[in-house]
Amino acid sequence: MTTKLMGTRVQRTEDQRFLRGLGRYADDVAVSPDTLHAAVLRSPHAHARILDIDVDEVLDVEGVHAVWTYDDLAGPMADALPLLIPHPALTHGRTQYALANGEVNHVGEAIAFVVADDRYVAEDAVGRIRVSYDLLPPVVGLDRARAAVDLVHEDVPGNVGARLEQNVGDAPAAIASAPHRLELDLTVERSACTPLEGRGTVARWDADLNRMQVWTSTQTSTGVRAAVAVKLELDLGQVDVITPDVGGGFGVKINHPWPEELLVPMAARALGRTVKFTEDRREHFISSAHERGQVHHVEVGFDDDGRLLGLSVDFWHDHGAYTPYGLIVPIITSTQLLGPYKPQNYRVVFESLYTNTVMVTPYRGAGRPQGCYTMERTMDAIAAYLGKDRTEVRAVNFIQPDEFPFDQGLIFQDGRELEYDSGDYPASLEKIKALIGWDDFPAYQASMAAEGRRVGLGLACYVEGTGVGPYEGAHVHVETTGKVKVATGLTTQGQGHATVFAQLVADELGVRFEDVEVVTGDTRRMPYAVGTFASRAAVMSGSAIHLAAKRTKEKALKIAADALEADPADLQIVDGVVSVKGSPGTSIDLGTLSVLSNPLRYAFDEASKAATQFSVGDPGKPPVAEGEEPGLEGRDFYSPERATFASGMHAVIVETDPLTAEITILKYAVVHDCGHLINPMIVEGQIHGGVAQGIGGALYERMVYDESGQLLNASFMDFLMPYVTEIPDGIAIDHLETPSPLNPLGIKGAGEAGVIPSAAVFASAIEDAERLDRPGMTITAMPISPSELFELRRRAVGEPAETTPEGNPA
Amino acid sequence: MKIASANVVPFPVPRVWDALLDPQVLVATIPGCERLAATGEHTYDMTVTAGVAAIKGTYAGTCALSDLEEHRSLVMRLQGAGAPGTIDATVQVRFEEAEAGSTQISYEADAVVGGMVGGVGQRMLTSVSKRMAKEFFDNVGSVIAGGGPEGAASTAPAMPGATAGEPLPGVFTAPPKAARVGSRDDFLRGIAVGAGLVLLGVVAGGIFGRRRW
Repeated sequence: MTTKLMGTRVQRTEDQRFLRGLGRYADDVAVSPDTLHAAVLRSPHAHARILDIDVDEVLDVEGVHAVWTYDDLAGPMADALPLLIPHPALTHGRTQYALANGEVNHVGEAIAFVVADDRYVAEDAVGRIRVSYDLLPPVVGLDRARAAVDLVHEDVPGNVGARLEQNVGDAPAAIASAPHRLELDLTVERSACTPLEGRGTVARWDADLNRMQVWTSTQTSTGVRAAVAVKLELDLGQVDVITPDVGGGFGVKINHPWPEELLVPMAARALGRTVKFTEDRREHFISSAHERGQVHHVEVGFDDDGRLLGLSVDFWHDHGAYTPYGLIVPIITSTQLLGPYKPQNYRVVFESLYTNTVMVTPYRGAGRPQGCYTMERTMDAIAAYLGKDRTEVRAVNFIQPDEFPFDQGLIFQDGRELEYDSGDYPASLEKIKALIGWDDFPAYQASMAAEGRRVGLGLACYVEGTGVGPYEGAHVHVETTGKVKVATGLTTQGQGHATVFAQLVADELGVRFEDVEVVTGDTRRMPYAVGTFASRAAVMSGSAIHLAAKRTKEKALKIAADALEADPADLQIVDGVVSVKGSPGTSIDLGTLSVLSNPLRYAFDEASKAATQFSVGDPGKPPVAEGEEPGLEGRDFYSPERATFASGMHAVIVETDPLTAEITILKYAVVHDCGHLINPMIVEGQIHGGVAQGIGGALYERMVYDESGQLLNASFMDFLMPYVTEIPDGIAIDHLETPSPLNPLGIKGAGEAGVIPSAAVFASAIEDAERLDRPGMTITAMPISPSELFELRRRAVGEPAETTPEGNPA
Repeated sequence: MKIASANVVPFPVPRVWDALLDPQVLVATIPGCERLAATGEHTYDMTVTAGVAAIKGTYAGTCALSDLEEHRSLVMRLQGAGAPGTIDATVQVRFEEAEAGSTQISYEADAVVGGMVGGVGQRMLTSVSKRMAKEFFDNVGSVIAGGGPEGAASTAPAMPGATAGEPLPGVFTAPPKAARVGSRDDFLRGIAVGAGLVLLGVVAGGIFGRRRW
């Protein structure tokens, strides 16, 4: 009997390629002297009208094939780029043009597109384009956006793209009548996904086939395909989009089409040559997308136990210059802020505001880190106010295990109810307390204090809606060799899909793991798909693949039952061989069944001989039975009613240097519940990566704009991405498995979880470490650097500070 | 970004003022300055090639002066653009007698630096620009010490009227080497151009620096 692979630590099949340098990324496609290369002239100004673009000098440069400006675009290419996710509250949505149409709204916006023999020539040519600008006042930062003295788009009053309010109960009344009330103002700065591979697109127009082939580093092949077809006025069937290996996405590559994803195929068709665009690091910083920048105001009312009676949150979301991805990020903040808690009465209002900075699209976590930070800072503040243990205050607010499904009464990012399907938050809390040593910490803190050292413990809890719709599909095909080819349409950015999806097929179909090959993100193999975002690949494609494998198995058993003259119910498939249970001698392998499934007139080899018309078939029946199709294959789709809600809790112990304010991580613990685990090793890898990215977001990374809208740290010299040296050596992980009732595998998403509670947990821990010396000091802005902590300490001087070495955390 | 600093030139204010308003002094003393041209009263075009390695480039710029108070102060509005970056700056320049017989020139620049250099290396620009300004003013001091621009005027081969070709009034071209050249011409408010060129040079040279960065 084959061992079930579900839940086992199967090694990643793709690592053989990656570790040997055999990964194949967009820039590895079409490496040939015949390939032309593109470079983009980008705005040096944050806000300006374009008076004139002079490309005369470019035309004389040897090796330049073409240059485009807005005036050269025709048809749908001259229209604004699509607003991908419209929402009724997005009353003033604006998107950019493929090339700036008379105005630029952030540094880095594309103005002209040059195609040349190589990138060097293309960049030289870009340097010769002369643009005259009329500078407009730049709106940088939420304060200036809200003040609205200057406007980003002159037809958007107040710089407000959208305002959305949701209410459950009557929060203001509940707060007003609550025994205790608090107000908090909380800030999170901008950061970005910063995948190591930036954006890249290659396109080839085949005039003989009248067909466009596009390779692009995206999180949605089908999305790019549809966009290219619409913009270039091609039939969908004329466009193939293939996503090769992708060196990280983290959200930024779900936005589409990027200007270059349209300009490259446009140029390829115009020039009849393969054209490639590979962005450089600075381009990625200033012309892709950022996230996270939000300011929050919280009013909360609670009882003596810390039980929430009413919660009211106003927040302001900096969405940059354009809104192609709609309101997804602030909607997620406004809903997922609630985490594992039931506030009883909740009111949330956000304004999504324009600024003359790079636009905002989801970055791993997608608004949840800000929401979690807001909620968890509030929990900590309530605990401090009441003098209670921080876990106690959380526990009294938890949704209990017997309350699922729990409807929070809000509308989530997918337009469906925010209804949690399953979870066990009290059990998670017990696990995290044990893992971090919560109850022993006060003694540890005191003993460290006696040595003059300052340590603090932080905790943060989150709930994450994963696996949003609308659907994913899969195709499973058994070749006559018995090898199994699997295709799903969503894309892969290093998550190990080829491994986990093969596990699912091996289990369901009864084939050897080694015989399963998975293809993702190729519209030729699976043209119906949505994309890889919102921690959805395992839930969506995993479920679809499971269902498609099941269909394939049913078909195999039906054919085998005929061939073996047995009842399908008596058959089993083990290691690719169908046999009659209890009668191992009576068997047929899947490869042969694949041959039999496809009745042939012509024989090509020994295997196909067996399927020709004089060899098989009942003369009294059609060779392909009614309702059947030739081929041993199955196709199915999975489309859930709503998202499934994963959850988790992080805890961290930090040490802060009393003199330098250096922040050191001593211990990091994660309790994670994503339902049934397909591959615990890969889930742990996701958690490790998420925690690392979260540490970057909490302690190091930020986008530093000056007041004129110049991004000052647009390089890895200045943008501090953490190295392995900044990540704790060993992250303690414990899993809880509360299966989702919404999909056949009982799984939930795991991709984003690791990054969600980072800002919250570090703020909590650093505040705890500082409490001994500065009891009233609160941390309300993240990320926090040692310099900022140092400044906070200086500002806290003068406050009544009781320095009791044996002071315990509340 | 804001840059404020001061430098001392060891000569009296009138001599320093005159020297610094002499475009030929500036053309010759500012590294990379190739051309100055008057386009109107107190407005100039200029061309500077500056920078190091990958971000070397030629900048086309304009400069406009206002609020001139002789021997005391002026305001310069500067704009420039080249492949590696752009600048848009307002510079307040003040002349004051420092110790006996020397001049303190203080400047406050409020500059918007854009493009690649503005985005990548702006945190270094302040210190680099101060060093470059000091170098520039030191050079000016050396020119004055070397006898002023008069003697060198005729040796400026590219000066209008001094060479064959079509002389353009008000156009000054740098000599092939940094010869100590120039002639008196109060019309061109060279200090402003000089300060602007320093800033432009900073744009080009700020990140990897002109010398040891």
